[in-house]
Amino acid sequence: MSILTSLSLECKKIRRTGFLPAFLCGGILAAAVPVVNMAVRSEMYLGKPGNPLQILLDANWQLTAMLNVLLVVAGACLLYHIEYADHAMQKIKALPVRESFYFLSKAIILIMMSFFVIVIEAGAVSFCIWHWFKNASLNPSELCKNFGYLFVLMLPCIVLSLLISEACKNMWVSLGIGVICIFTATMLPADSFTLSLFPYAMPFHIYADADITQSLHYIQAAAAELAALGLAQLLFIKIRRSFE
Amino acid sequence: MSFLSLIGVEAVKIRRSKILLILAAASVILWLPSILNAKMNFNMQAEGISPENNFFIQGFMGMCWFMFPAGMVVGTVLLSQTEKADRGLLKMLTLPLNTAKLMFAKFVILLMLAAVQILMMTGMYYISAAVSSKLLAYHFILPPLFVLKESCFLFLSAIPMIAVFWMLSVCIGTPIFSVGIGLASIVPSVLIINTKLWFAYPMAYPFFVITSEYGKLAANLDTAELELIPWIPTAIIITVLSLSISCLCFGQAERK
Repeated sequence: MSILTSLSLECKKIRRTGFLPAFLCGGILAAAVPVVNMAVRSEMYLGKPGNPLQILLDANWQLTAMLNVLLVVAGACLLYHIEYADHAMQKIKALPVRESFYFLSKAIILIMMSFFVIVIEAGAVSFCIWHWFKNASLNPSELCKNFGYLFVLMLPCIVLSLLISEACKNMWVSLGIGVICIFTATMLPADSFTLSLFPYAMPFHIYADADITQSLHYIQAAAAELAALGLAQLLFIKIRRSFE
Repeated sequence: MSFLSLIGVEAVKIRRSKILLILAAASVILWLPSILNAKMNFNMQAEGISPENNFFIQGFMGMCWFMFPAGMVVGTVLLSQTEKADRGLLKMLTLPLNTAKLMFAKFVILLMLAAVQILMMTGMYYISAAVSSKLLAYHFILPPLFVLKESCFLFLSAIPMIAVFWMLSVCIGTPIFSVGIGLASIVPSVLIINTKLWFAYPMAYPFFVITSEYGKLAANLDTAELELIPWIPTAIIITVLSLSISCLCFGQAERK
């Protein structure tokens, strides 16, 4: 089975689960945060010195990222819930296809949807700059750099959420663990670099122009976490199989 | 079958659900940073709040803004999914019982989960306050009557929110929507408690109650006060409406 066939199968599975509309609505809701904030109290931000993109991200990204992470956790829970709900997982295990292959397809779907959400949010931020910051010009490469960075930092959280959902048969357990992880991320002290590498805390960081080395460290950490999580998934499948 | 035995049956159903483990983990994660940062409670002169009051209120605020409502959303998923697996709800509906009674039994279990979560949080508060008192040689422990009063008030204020979450999980068949709407509705509560219309938004009630208590304990801090008049009637209307809609929707999809 090629990856494309597997992807189209996954798309068929999620067709009637409300997955796509949920991501669309969630993306619009998260993108509405900067727009509503500017509509209600634009005077707080217009007078600030500096880059409008940075001002907007500083003011709104915590809330937007929170919504993004919640969406990712709920989406990851659903992607595996549809397999566990009517014992489809047992049928999957009987097929001559590696279980990791399904994980990869689901991860690609979730990553694509998160990318879509990030694009909606980038659109909303561009709209805010165009509409309210009349004197500032929008630099597309800067926008891509910032939102690309935010997207990369979301990847470990996406893969870990999916791994948790794969590990837990019951949806409330995976959702519960996801929620606790998000809660932990909000409780972590902001000044510790090591603690801020927790996958659920990473999506809250924005690209800092002033400290490019630290931003690079975050990207490297995200790549390392992705590799570690991929390995953990392979090991997990092997270990679980040996106990079944 | 009496209502009490129905509640007993519902409690047996979730016995092996590990939900208590999840709620307990949340309480531990909540209070651990409080113990580690207990020293910071002495730097609150600007707000005019005593260290022991600050220790208590910061922890409760941390819980009420996200983890407590999110824990309730997880609880609704637990109660609805245990029935959906293997068509449990369909079997329930074939019993010669009033469906509203079945629905209320589940709602009472959800309220009990909320009470357990608050009790765990309070229990962990006492443990962490005792540990911090030992570490810093300062008495952080508040009188139990005051803490229990706050916990009870918190529980009562959360009932409308829990009723709305329950309505969402009963009426919306696709779990991603009921969970998504539930979780997404928690996030704006931070903004809504600062507006005049906070009383119309049940997800903000527990956080508002704790924030206004913070204002009372801190002499120099000016937070919005609880005005019982628009709040209590609105809260009652929201609760009754949510529960009535849940009654009507309970098991509708299975009856078709």
